[in-house]
Amino acid sequence: MTDHSSHRQTYWRRILGQTFVRWGARLGLGWVALLAMIGIFAPFLASSFPLLLSQNGVWSSPVLTYLQAEDVLFLIAFFSLLLVLPWRISGARKLGLFVLMVSIGGGLAYSYVDPPKLVIYEQYRVAEREGVYDWVIFAPVPYSPKDYQRDLGDTGLEAPLSQAERPHFFGTEQNGADVLSRMIHASRIALGIGFVATGIAMVIGVIIGGLMGYFSGIVDILGMRLVEIFEAVPTLFLLLTFVAFFGRSLYIMMVIIGITSWPGFARYVRAEFLRLRKQDFVQAAEAAGLPLPSILFRHMLPNGMGPVLVAASFGVASAILAEATLSFLGLGLVDDPSWGEMLNQAVQSSRFNWWMAAFPGGAIFFTVFAYNLIGESLRDAIDPYLSKSN
Amino acid sequence: MLTYLIRRVLLMVPTLLGITLVVFVVMASSPGGISAQSLVEGQNLDPEAKQEIEAYYNRLYGLDDPPYLQYLRWLNNVSPIGFVFDEENKMSGFSFSKGADFGRSFRYGRPVTDLLAERVPITVLLNVLSIPLVYMFALLVGVRAAVERGRSFDVSSGIVMLALWSVPTMLAGVMLIGFFANQQYWHWFPTAGLSDRLVLDQVFLPHWSSLWDVGLLFICLVLSVALFMSIARSGYKPLRIVFLALCWTVLGYMMVEALPQTQQSLTLFVLMPILFALLAGWLASTDYLLMRQLGFLSSALLVGLLLAVYGMQGSWLRGFLFDRLWHLALPVLCLSYGGFAGLAKLTRTSVLENLLSDYARTARAKGLAESVVLWRHVFRNSLLPLITVAASLLPSLLAGSIIVESIFSIEGMGKLAVEAVQTRDRELVLSITLIGGMLTLLGYLLADLLYALADPRVSYD
Repeated sequence: MTDHSSHRQTYWRRILGQTFVRWGARLGLGWVALLAMIGIFAPFLASSFPLLLSQNGVWSSPVLTYLQAEDVLFLIAFFSLLLVLPWRISGARKLGLFVLMVSIGGGLAYSYVDPPKLVIYEQYRVAEREGVYDWVIFAPVPYSPKDYQRDLGDTGLEAPLSQAERPHFFGTEQNGADVLSRMIHASRIALGIGFVATGIAMVIGVIIGGLMGYFSGIVDILGMRLVEIFEAVPTLFLLLTFVAFFGRSLYIMMVIIGITSWPGFARYVRAEFLRLRKQDFVQAAEAAGLPLPSILFRHMLPNGMGPVLVAASFGVASAILAEATLSFLGLGLVDDPSWGEMLNQAVQSSRFNWWMAAFPGGAIFFTVFAYNLIGESLRDAIDPYLSKSN
Repeated sequence: MLTYLIRRVLLMVPTLLGITLVVFVVMASSPGGISAQSLVEGQNLDPEAKQEIEAYYNRLYGLDDPPYLQYLRWLNNVSPIGFVFDEENKMSGFSFSKGADFGRSFRYGRPVTDLLAERVPITVLLNVLSIPLVYMFALLVGVRAAVERGRSFDVSSGIVMLALWSVPTMLAGVMLIGFFANQQYWHWFPTAGLSDRLVLDQVFLPHWSSLWDVGLLFICLVLSVALFMSIARSGYKPLRIVFLALCWTVLGYMMVEALPQTQQSLTLFVLMPILFALLAGWLASTDYLLMRQLGFLSSALLVGLLLAVYGMQGSWLRGFLFDRLWHLALPVLCLSYGGFAGLAKLTRTSVLENLLSDYARTARAKGLAESVVLWRHVFRNSLLPLITVAASLLPSLLAGSIIVESIFSIEGMGKLAVEAVQTRDRELVLSITLIGGMLTLLGYLLADLLYALADPRVSYD
């Protein structure tokens, strides 16, 4: 058994090794990692609340007071990942340990973290102006994403660096919030939606595609009709319908993008399973009388996972695009920052606000490009026949 | 072949039913659902009028029936064969020729068929214009990348294509409209719609007031094309580079000059011509003849046009055709650039596979020129997978037109879809799904037929 698992590990290690020697994949991974760091530490990077201040010699940190439960959860997840990774145990145990730590941490965070309900963003800014504090350290971007800066007058849609006394590096949006700050906080949505939606799509696709490929015959015909149904409606239209009729929560959006994008995975897995079904090791597993889930998921799936991994990488990219598109069309989240929603403000009036197009649009582009680069390198690593060096 | 065709068309029916069922289930099971109440809500009416309208909707669409009954009723209305109902909604018989009735839109109060008849041709026009563009560039780049596999053109084109593919359509649309249609920058293209109101009563073709102007235009275009093409074909590289770079430097300068005063700046005056010159120099220096000629040809047309406009005496009318093209330029560009990447990649793979095959080696061994091997033997065989992809391009183009039409305010099916979904217009949503699904499935069918025609090995009997 140990021999088997170590063999599989080397297969994956080989694939991943071949993928990440390519500088395209490395750049992509680097960008995603950077985004993840930005997302995890978003409250400390962009916030209207000072990181640290001293009032009459007493130190305090308002940013910690206003930390949301999910902010804490992200931090816990990050640090438990740091703890678990260098440990010399098997991958499955690492994963289990990580999940355990995150769920305990999450439970604690959601039951004990209780930020004030009423948030007045400008209080610290005003107090600083009046010279109440001995000294104060603000975040690098001293504006929260929903801080509409009512105390500073009409700040809607200002070009970058047009005000010398309060620099907005990426300008402000129509309500007066700082674009950079909104973009920093929106990176969480972009990353989260990509991973969760693709995860859901992958699970559905692998199960349906696997069953179709393994049983073939009538199951295959019925399954292919289902695949065709979901493919024949343009995904975007189906998404629009779902979102318009089911409301606009982030979680609903993740689920919906997931359940509209599984057919691709199902097709890949089906093709792989049709090929694998006739091979000796599967026949042997069947002859040994192994239960069906064991044959499907322990023996066939790891061997047919390559194309799925490639599809997943492209899938994350298209999920991010889908969310951005929905937000762009005004069907996204209502008040929360999102890159697509900001892009929408670029040509809302007769004026063209280039910073609303360039920065959020650029962020979407680089993220999607990063995932596509990773997917491309994965494909080349798995299918060397088509690779550039051939 | 005929039996295959019939079987395929019959298989489309359950798929279409499934599509509408999925969408109907979504609408029916959504919180609030589709009820007369949800439709009337928000309109400022007194309670009695509200009640009356609700009762009217209920009678008309049976919105107070259970959902499965509503779906069956809709299905019966849409299918050309089915039961016939009389005024009191009592079944009065079964008919084979009652015709399909898509119902009336809640929001517009007009028959859905009318709305669709207006909107679908526009979306189809957009898509039909972009597909040849996509194919042209994808073939141009893909074949070359396969021939030069592993070399710089292959690698760089791969990256550029992937990057283009990653540009969100809305970013491209917003940028294009912002820079090339807005008053603040180059106000060259219209911002919205498909034609100007003025042009609708004008002649079809462009019209010049004097014959001399037409002649001038002709002479300028011919002369500049002849000059540019002869230089494009010249083997002396420095001449090509210097010539095209100079041309584009001037064009870049003129482009900055065309900006409104407020946007002009010294850096732009320096940067833009240099950028243009570098781009032109790269284009002129490439050994890829086809791409070089294309670059030179487009520059020639541009220069010729500019010279002619500069020399013209009288005025001219745009005419309907030119106006339509002028309105379509940005949307079509926006719709088609994303398709390049996938198709170019596929072309490359397909050509590469054939280039490495035995028959290509035999042809080379026979002493055929490499270009003959490539275009006469390999290229033809590589076209097969490209034909099938045309079908899968269609759904993505339909989805793309939702965004493009919203950005460019084109009254097509995509924009109608967004509006229908936002206003919970059930009849419209269902009909659009049905039509969209039908178009997609027809695309698949067409691809399969073409495939069978092109490849004698495929047979369906």
